[in-house]
Amino acid sequence: MNSAIELDGVSWKAGKSFELQDISLNVPVGSIYGFLGPNGSGKTTTIRTFMGMLKPDRGTISIFGHSVPKDMKRILARIGYVPERPHVYPALTVAEQIKVHSSFFDNWDPGWSSELVERLGIDPSRKISRLSKGETGKLLLLLALSQRPDLLVLDEPTDGLDPVVRRDVLSAVLDYVSERSATVFISSHLVHELERICDWVGVMDQGRLVAELPMQRFKNGIKRLRIADAPEGVEAAPFTLLSRRRDNGVGSMETWIVRDWEPPMRHYFDGVGATVRDVIDLDLEEGFVELLRSSRPQHTNGS
Amino acid sequence: MYQSLLFLHWKQIRHVLAAMTIGSFALPLMAVQGLGSYPGMEAWSGLEAYRFIAGFQAWVIFFPLLAAGVGITLALSSWNWDHQLKHVYALSLPISRWEYTLQKMFAGATLALVPVVGMWIGSHVAVASINLPEGLNAYPNELAIRFLFAILLAYAAFFAAAAGTVKTTLYVVGTIFAFLLLGSIANDVLGYYVAYFARVHVVENVVQWLAYAPGPFEVFTGSWSLIDV
Repeated sequence: MNSAIELDGVSWKAGKSFELQDISLNVPVGSIYGFLGPNGSGKTTTIRTFMGMLKPDRGTISIFGHSVPKDMKRILARIGYVPERPHVYPALTVAEQIKVHSSFFDNWDPGWSSELVERLGIDPSRKISRLSKGETGKLLLLLALSQRPDLLVLDEPTDGLDPVVRRDVLSAVLDYVSERSATVFISSHLVHELERICDWVGVMDQGRLVAELPMQRFKNGIKRLRIADAPEGVEAAPFTLLSRRRDNGVGSMETWIVRDWEPPMRHYFDGVGATVRDVIDLDLEEGFVELLRSSRPQHTNGS
Repeated sequence: MYQSLLFLHWKQIRHVLAAMTIGSFALPLMAVQGLGSYPGMEAWSGLEAYRFIAGFQAWVIFFPLLAAGVGITLALSSWNWDHQLKHVYALSLPISRWEYTLQKMFAGATLALVPVVGMWIGSHVAVASINLPEGLNAYPNELAIRFLFAILLAYAAFFAAAAGTVKTTLYVVGTIFAFLLLGSIANDVLGYYVAYFARVHVVENVVQWLAYAPGPFEVFTGSWSLIDV
């Protein structure tokens, strides 16, 4: 599998308050990779490490096979980046900002840029300080797309935008991907937003990558099971147990949240003297929440 | 790329730059306005010519101050937006950091030429507006060049200091002040015990060397005379 982004054992510490711990992730070329996690989980910090803005304490990073930060200049020429906070100059007009930005990129496509101005409905003569949040978001995307990148890195690009603008932004991204077969790395804490567009998903929590899997497996593989006569230990289970709790006042019934579930796995319970009474689909958000709960130390310790 | 950085800096500082250019143009005119023009002044004695120069000298302090002000303003404004945007924009561009810094520095230095031209024109107009006594000469070009070098020196020093984080800048400034203060105290105390330190004040000598020829800051303390012998 060719990788657009590959992090291997990356750690980075900011004082005593926060650290990235041993992050290893792999973004396949041509994929739309959703990077999920609650606020403060380390999504932006991870992005900044592979964008060459932070130097990891340990681990290696490569983008399209080029080493970060050694080949950064070549790498950044292929990346369209939309940061978490707008990074445009407030005193410029939209047209001036576009002109300034274009001068740094050899692949800049002025025709495509003009087309996006029209399509996204941005007034080129408006001052950036007077743009609304939605218009600023569109401008940032326009700047990232007009340089014809092979990799789009979008850090919470739709955060705080209204549904109409959000749809405009995401559809512009999808159109670009279908036209150019580009890779997209998009971070968000809005689970449903990524569900519709991503084919891979990575989940961050407390500075750790707690899961990385194809979206289809994430959507279909996390289940809530109701089990009678549940065994104490879970040895050699073909699935991953995320959490378990005893149901109040229902005899020996327990509710388990499992990952990587497939229907034939029911037979596992026959072998350990238990019975699966129900298999309940979790929606993506529930699955995400359970994944986070299970990854946190206090929950894995059974509390 | 350089043009974009020049444009960005100009866009940010254009109003202040216009005010500084007007000030640079007006300062030589203001300095000579009290000198006036008197009948027969071409044949003045040396003493009268000296008084004439002294009238200009009263304004001389403002020239290096203005140069320092222009240089510092250009330097701080150069990094202002980058600091505000936490350098994320600059670091996401496909340009190496040294190249970005160098081009940004040249862009600021280019803008320094605007008030220098103002000073140069103002000096020529000022000289043309008076009759010089015999034995005195005008140095408008030299004054403008000194003004340029003084701006560039202040600009370079503060550009470097402002490039870092606030913490780094405070370290640098703190180290300089600590050297001046603690060095002076240490020298005074050592002077009681070691004869050499009673005779030689190291900190004072360093400051003297920096501020006067051949030190780098001589450009501020040297001659700023538009009119001299």
